[in-house]
Amino acid sequence: MKTRTMSAWAGALLAATALTATTALPAAAQTVLRLDESAVGELDPGKATDYADSILMFNVYDTLVLPVQGGPGYAPHLAESWETDGSDFVFTLRDDVTFQSGNKMTAEDVVFSFDRMKALGQGLSFLFDKVESAEAIDERTVRFNLSETYSPFVASLVRLPIVDKKLVMENLGEGEGEMGDWGQAFLSANAAGTGAYSVSAHNPQEETVMQKNPDYFLGIADKAPDEVRLRYSLEAATVRTLLAQGEHDISSQWLPPEVIKSLAADGAQLLTETGGGAFYVKMNTTKPPLDDVNCRLALANAYDYAAGLTMVAITDEVAQGSPATGAVPVGMFGANPESETLERDLEAAKQYLADCQYDPADFTLEISWIGEVPIEERFALLMQANFAELGIKSEIRKVPWALFTEQVTKPENTPHISQIFVNAVTGDPDTLLFPMYHSSLAGTWQSPEYLNDETVDALLEKGRTVSGKEERDAVYSELNDRLMEIAPSIYAYDRQSIFAASDRVRAPALSDPDKAFGLDGMGFSFRLMEMTEE
Amino acid sequence: MKRTAAILIANPLSALGVALVALVVLSAVFADFIAPFPEHRGAVVDFANFNKAPGWPYLFGTDLVGRDLFSRVIYAYRISLMLGIVVLAIAVPIGVTIGLVAGYFGGWTEAVLMRITDVFLSIPPLVLAMSMMGLLEPTLTNGMLAVTAMWWPWYTRLVYNLTRGEKEEGYVLAAEVIGASRLHVVFREILPNCVPAVLTKMTLDLGFVILIASSLSFLGLGVQPPTPDLGSMVADGAKYLPDSWWLTVFPGMAILIAVFGFNLLGDALREILGVDQ
Amino acid sequence: MSPVVRLILKRLGISLIVLVGVSMLIFAIARVIPGDPARIALGPNASAEQVEALRERLHLDEPLPLQYAYFIADLAQGDLGVSLYTNRPVTTDIAQFLPATLELIIVAGLMMIMIGLPLGVLSARYRGAWPDNAIRIVAMLGVSAPSFVWAVILMLIFAFFLPLFPIAGRIADSFSVPSVTGFLLIDTLLAGDIRAFGNAAWHLVLPAFALALSGIGQAARLTRANMVETYDRPFIEMARSYGFPERRIANRYAFRPSLIPSLTIIGLDFAALLGNAFLVEAVFAWPGLSRYGVAVILRKDLNAIVGTVLIISAMFLIVNIVVDLLIALINPRIRLSQRS
Repeated sequence: MKTRTMSAWAGALLAATALTATTALPAAAQTVLRLDESAVGELDPGKATDYADSILMFNVYDTLVLPVQGGPGYAPHLAESWETDGSDFVFTLRDDVTFQSGNKMTAEDVVFSFDRMKALGQGLSFLFDKVESAEAIDERTVRFNLSETYSPFVASLVRLPIVDKKLVMENLGEGEGEMGDWGQAFLSANAAGTGAYSVSAHNPQEETVMQKNPDYFLGIADKAPDEVRLRYSLEAATVRTLLAQGEHDISSQWLPPEVIKSLAADGAQLLTETGGGAFYVKMNTTKPPLDDVNCRLALANAYDYAAGLTMVAITDEVAQGSPATGAVPVGMFGANPESETLERDLEAAKQYLADCQYDPADFTLEISWIGEVPIEERFALLMQANFAELGIKSEIRKVPWALFTEQVTKPENTPHISQIFVNAVTGDPDTLLFPMYHSSLAGTWQSPEYLNDETVDALLEKGRTVSGKEERDAVYSELNDRLMEIAPSIYAYDRQSIFAASDRVRAPALSDPDKAFGLDGMGFSFRLMEMTEE
Repeated sequence: MKRTAAILIANPLSALGVALVALVVLSAVFADFIAPFPEHRGAVVDFANFNKAPGWPYLFGTDLVGRDLFSRVIYAYRISLMLGIVVLAIAVPIGVTIGLVAGYFGGWTEAVLMRITDVFLSIPPLVLAMSMMGLLEPTLTNGMLAVTAMWWPWYTRLVYNLTRGEKEEGYVLAAEVIGASRLHVVFREILPNCVPAVLTKMTLDLGFVILIASSLSFLGLGVQPPTPDLGSMVADGAKYLPDSWWLTVFPGMAILIAVFGFNLLGDALREILGVDQ
Repeated sequence: MSPVVRLILKRLGISLIVLVGVSMLIFAIARVIPGDPARIALGPNASAEQVEALRERLHLDEPLPLQYAYFIADLAQGDLGVSLYTNRPVTTDIAQFLPATLELIIVAGLMMIMIGLPLGVLSARYRGAWPDNAIRIVAMLGVSAPSFVWAVILMLIFAFFLPLFPIAGRIADSFSVPSVTGFLLIDTLLAGDIRAFGNAAWHLVLPAFALALSGIGQAARLTRANMVETYDRPFIEMARSYGFPERRIANRYAFRPSLIPSLTIIGLDFAALLGNAFLVEAVFAWPGLSRYGVAVILRKDLNAIVGTVLIISAMFLIVNIVVDLLIALINPRIRLSQRS
């Protein structure tokens, strides 16, 4: 009796299995792109700073302009055209753009997005310090009023995503003032953009799921993925296995080189993005012995540049970095030619150390590394070994990112040596160098050097006011020389982001230099990707 | 003594425990002579030999900056053992005393002491240690502090429960009847009866402290590099699975061997003390 | 009022006092740390004025007891503040992530009791013989490695080399299960999707087993040790002399008194499960509260740390109440002393 009911139950179970198996089939026809990022993506575009945030922002929202693919300069995107007299910019908007909510995009939305960015004061809002106000002249025209000439302004606009004012106003949360929380609670979990992808689920510990927006104003190719799953905080070993098993499509750039190497050996394709960034070893110029330029130059010459590059090599052709030639990454205004690579020179280092007013035996350098970026530990060990050859002692300290950003607000708490990956958030050298080296912005995670040098300040300010390619190149070249001379940082290598990917996906913006945007994260515009199977 | 030897011989598992503990302790003490590359316990880089699979002369392979894993595991034992001994030396006397006093005296003393103990016990130990380590600077001293803070209440709870059971036993009542002082009853009558349980637990715990400390460093909240530490070696190595398996498997096995050894020894001790009783 | 009801009420009262103590302890730890919570909250680009404004809004310049009062007042309204890690209210995060952790822990806890206790009983019954030795070795190996080592080893063998089990997550992407309780095993059944249920269960096997292993070992070892001690007591000899079968002696006379210390320790073992979940979730990318806990601790996300620790402690207290009640029910002596 008992066995009979059991088998009947098992039969029902089997039938149910068969039934669900057949009904589940049609849904699988959708193409799905799966990728991962180490940090949790921030959906609120007003707070977007890091790589994961940028991926979300560039897909869910649009900006007035976009970088030109495969070359310098910016092309209209939500804007149709713009005019400027140097300090004021007037943009004419496209007429045919609607938000994912169905609301029409107008000048009001642009003004709202700008005001919101300024009011929150988070993320990359510092890019708009020089912009005093934005005003809607008519439904399709917006004017930005700048306090002074600021040539990188148009470049900054790739960091001003346009938000659906009407939708946000309908969902204001509690807060001080008439704007409440500026929709922060709503936008941290929901999309309010015009972008090519809409958000269907957002779990900060797991993934953000996005769906193709059928009404995108530029249209999207059929081959672009129907659904995108951006997964968060997967272990390197997990990504490695998922990719090998065909359960994952594109890895994050934070995979250690060895893992990318194994994946490449298994047949994964390698995607690359060069976003105008570098790996900087930053020295606290207020703390003895590093307040003496000769001691800094001694360290900069003792550092083994070539060994550092072997650490980030993946294959003979591909590496996560290329040799540095100075403070400005190759390819940007003011960069030194590719041939003038920095090399280790122990003799010179000893000479500089002899000229330094301090005796190295009196100091123990504190070398910090960011806990979230494991490869930095290896660089810390490399430096410790390199500096020991000069007779300089050092100790290594792992610092979590959140704590690091807090420590650097006071020069006395800032370690002697910090290791930072910095990218020009807009592709312009100003956004790379100004936050790092201008004395007015000292003491952020980008500027633990606390550099205070009049020549550098003057050149940085000049770079913002001159326009024209050659003039700007000249200014930044002079700045580069000065930064080499006073060595606030060791310019370890120019950075290149490498992603391992399955062959299910093609990403021209990440594999064809003529299609590259030259802007971090922009290569992950899913609408430009193609799924090749299923 | 003879009985002890007899038990060890009769029970091969106990003998294995003694052997493993001896292995761990001796490697820690004589690390300088055993480790083929003693300097690799610190910040050394050798990019000619990084990420090498196990072989000669690198028995356990090398890590990602070219350091000998075998040497680092040996030195990691030294740190682990030291940490374990210090933690227990502080936590056990505190925990046992509170447990005895609360269990025997009862009333308000019991209420206050056990509520404080409950507060500590109500935060799962690893979570308590993690929260403390997350908020403090990650140094060896703070690590010991955090583990000690989570450890003493276990002894309080154990001894408290034993005491409550014991104090209604005949021999305690007898001592009370003949007018022995309360201190005498607690420390001379009850405590000796708790000793076997406490000693057994201590031996086991030496292994567990090593285990918990390695868990903290696995989460990035323990001893900082370049100091060799088994937990952080496993955590760092886990990123390179399955290709560079040696980075995780050997330090993981090293933890297993140490804790296994102390557990077997604890069991043996239990038998021996049981016979003596 | 019956003694049992009074005991329950008393236990609940005590637990409430303990929970207040826990909140004070955690609050104190979170507030005395080096570093300015407002600066950390606003991120690297915030201006000094913005930091000052937030300090004021968070009452950070007030004396500590007053800050605690504000904290309790907010807590009473279910407001634990906003997490810096997710930029969402901490209560939202906890509500979303707690079920995943509970599901994992409950399955692991069941494994622990259903495998561990019987192993211990068997071991004690065959004390000194081969089943005892075999069980002791297995149990001790289980106890002797931290959960993360087991997690990594199980993953290496059963997910990397023999891809029998999934290596991460709770359920495959292709299933969409409407979230009702947050427990996937229940939600899939409510949705009537047997395949999804199977898939979720399949995802649970490795993490739950890795989590349960040390508990299984612990439970088996303690049950054995206590039973062995009980076996030495005179009443067992007496039972034997009456000719009771060994099985009855084991299950009835030796097991029951041994259960008290075992239960106390199993109560504490539940804490170990809650703690070890932090390690296992990290390895298996399990989207639960523990993984969230690690993330927020590493980021010094104070609101989220306080919230997570409070919730975990509350869960643990509830389990301990249950354990204490069970002990009282089994041992009349202790129940009597409670009554007096």
